Amino acid sequence: MAVTETTEVRSSALGLRLERHVDWMIIIILILIIGAASGFTLAVTMGDWEYWVDWKDRRFWPLVPPVLMMIFPAAVLGITWTKLRIPFGATFAVFSYTLLKWVSLYFNFNVFAGFPMSMVWQSTFIPLAILLDATIVITGSVFITGFVGAFLWGVLMYPVNWVMLAGFHEPILYNGELVTAADLMGFEYIRTGLPEYVRMIERSTLRSFADTVVPLTAVFAGFLCVLVFYVSWAAGTFLCRQTWVKKV
Amino acid sequence: MSVEALSGTTPAEQLASKRADVPGMNWSKVGWTFAIIALVYGAHRVYMQQMAFTVGLDYFEPEFQIYWMPLFWAQVVVGGLAFFGVNGYLWMTREKNPEAVTPRDELGRYFGLLLWVFSFAVILGVLGSFATESDAAWHQVTIRDTDFTPTHIGLFYFALPALIIAAVGLFMYAKTRLPQHADKYLVPLGIALSGPILILPTVGYNEWGHTFFYAEELFGAPVHWGFAFLGLALLAVGGVVVHILARMGSLIQEIQDEAKV
Repeated sequence: MAVTETTEVRSSALGLRLERHVDWMIIIILILIIGAASGFTLAVTMGDWEYWVDWKDRRFWPLVPPVLMMIFPAAVLGITWTKLRIPFGATFAVFSYTLLKWVSLYFNFNVFAGFPMSMVWQSTFIPLAILLDATIVITGSVFITGFVGAFLWGVLMYPVNWVMLAGFHEPILYNGELVTAADLMGFEYIRTGLPEYVRMIERSTLRSFADTVVPLTAVFAGFLCVLVFYVSWAAGTFLCRQTWVKKV
Repeated sequence: MSVEALSGTTPAEQLASKRADVPGMNWSKVGWTFAIIALVYGAHRVYMQQMAFTVGLDYFEPEFQIYWMPLFWAQVVVGGLAFFGVNGYLWMTREKNPEAVTPRDELGRYFGLLLWVFSFAVILGVLGSFATESDAAWHQVTIRDTDFTPTHIGLFYFALPALIIAAVGLFMYAKTRLPQHADKYLVPLGIALSGPILILPTVGYNEWGHTFFYAEELFGAPVHWGFAFLGLALLAVGGVVVHILARMGSLIQEIQDEAKV
């Protein structure tokens, strides 16, 4: 009996050791894959809106990045919540994306191409991801998480980034023209085709909706985020079904 | 009569012997895999840092033909040899009798699969983050002349083939070593690995589009949206992870039960 008890205890330790090996490998692998896959997808869809400081306008920046950024956190949360009951899938996805994105921005845009880091910083989504995860922990409901958490993700994107952005919207009188600090940086660092596009966007917003562009955009982004959350959640959970086929 | 007297060893020694047979993750292999990939890409990156803006701005300059095109051709040759070498080796050393694989061996092979997935993940990290956005940064400060730019040589003809080799190697490893995969295909694995492979036609479309109707390089432009398939296909990695966790959990349980007997 004594021998059996000892063996049981030790074999549990053996199982625990092997499971720890698997866990650590999976965590490292997922950070790399989610970070790279989301970074790549977002680079070729929202791309420039995410990091150029002079692209952080009031009409498209609060709309395009939060809506597209919702894809991976929602899908990862869908998988981790339904299969593993892990409630921080969205935060994990955003953390992975943020980690690789910062390294890439530093080495590529700063070290390689010579742009100052203050010009190419990425938006933060971590507070929004915590909010999304907290909603599912508190409610336990996918429907409410999409309806409330995803809506807040879109609505609050501008405020949570405002602390970092506010300084770049300080007005500067430059050669008789009133520009923001971000605009001035954009004009000083010439890029292939960016400034005219951004000016076009800003001009169209000046006379729109009595200058309440950001709240309007934020609410619209919130609605789109709700839609993208449900679609991505469904895609994530569908793609992790254990389907086998005999022939291809 | 005691157990020690019957077997000649103590229960602790018997258990230690059993533990020694049980495979775990070989962390030195993990470290070496990461170090080799980081070293190779790091060397490529240092070369790009030094040579891209000095002798890489114009394909039609003689310097470009000296410093960049030989690198391109070397990558094509090494990539081709690596693809056939790796997959040929995996096929030639395949498991001939999958039914006879013991749970301990199968568990060891799943740790091998994890090493392949890790290699794939590190190369994907290189491609999806560093290599892609080095191209984004390059295009913001230079005008495209041909399809051969220093960052394209690093991205489309180095990092992307490396990812395809890792993806196909991963698939071949699972197919030739793991009993569950011997006579059937796991759909999420197929979807996840189709992303890197199907990105090749997207590269073709991208280059064709930039040549004929869209010279600018705004990364969020519609001509680039096809690339998103790579990232979206990788959502299916969730299904692969679920499969690995479920099967390895089951094998660990079997080995634990075996150790209790």
